[in-house]
Amino acid sequence: MKKLMLALASIALMATATMADAPAATEVKMKIKAKEKNGVVKTKVSISHAMLTYDQAKKKGKEANFITHITATVGDKVVYDASTSQFLSKNPLIKFVFKGKKGDELKITYTQLKGETFFATKKIK
Amino acid sequence: MKKTMLTLVAVAAMTVSLSATDYRAEKPDTWTAHDVPTAIKALYGEITPADAAIKLKAPKVASNGGAIPVSVKTDIPAKSIAIFQDANPEAAVVVFAVTEDMVEDFALKIKMKKSGTITAIVEGKDGKFYSKKLTLEVALGGCEG
Repeated sequence: MKKLMLALASIALMATATMADAPAATEVKMKIKAKEKNGVVKTKVSISHAMLTYDQAKKKGKEANFITHITATVGDKVVYDASTSQFLSKNPLIKFVFKGKKGDELKITYTQLKGETFFATKKIK
Repeated sequence: MKKTMLTLVAVAAMTVSLSATDYRAEKPDTWTAHDVPTAIKALYGEITPADAAIKLKAPKVASNGGAIPVSVKTDIPAKSIAIFQDANPEAAVVVFAVTEDMVEDFALKIKMKKSGTITAIVEGKDGKFYSKKLTLEVALGGCEG
């Protein structure tokens, strides 16, 4: 019994710890177009980001900073998942297609080099 | 007690990796490889991909190397799709993790320093690998700016 209590306590502790540790995602503006036709949603996303490669950053005397991961979700379904490198264009534009329906909320999340995450949402038209 | 904690941590880590596949964390060597074969080897191991019906599209002559539109489209049931090029200091550009809810039709804009070849690799659900190459000219490099 005591052991169980301890285990429960540790679960609670863990939960609070992970919640505090997880970096909060910041909401940003993105240009998102998502249009459904026959159960398929065509999506275009444009993210404002400098995408500084290591070479460019060195020349400018700045720190390299680029997007390392982009995901799109509808509810708990992952509809786009890309691990990316520094060679995406500046202000990257991505296009993808997935099975979805009108009215659902699409959430785009990206992570940059140091782990900060940003997100934006848009209703599927 | 410690064991419980460890298991919990493991469970937490697993749930995170289920929702999205982070190829940067899983295969770190892929992203530092300087040429395409090394990068492919780091990502998928020793493979001999077959030529297949992958629609890899990019302009023949890109006027601006800073933003080259590239698209990849295929009907092969895939687990993942990766894009590499040989013009930049490192080879990997992007790895898509493909799920049931996706249609295999991706497009994005990439940077290329000079003329080179883009390679797309499709990891099929059947465990086989497929590839497609495309050579293009870049009029103005995209990595100096």
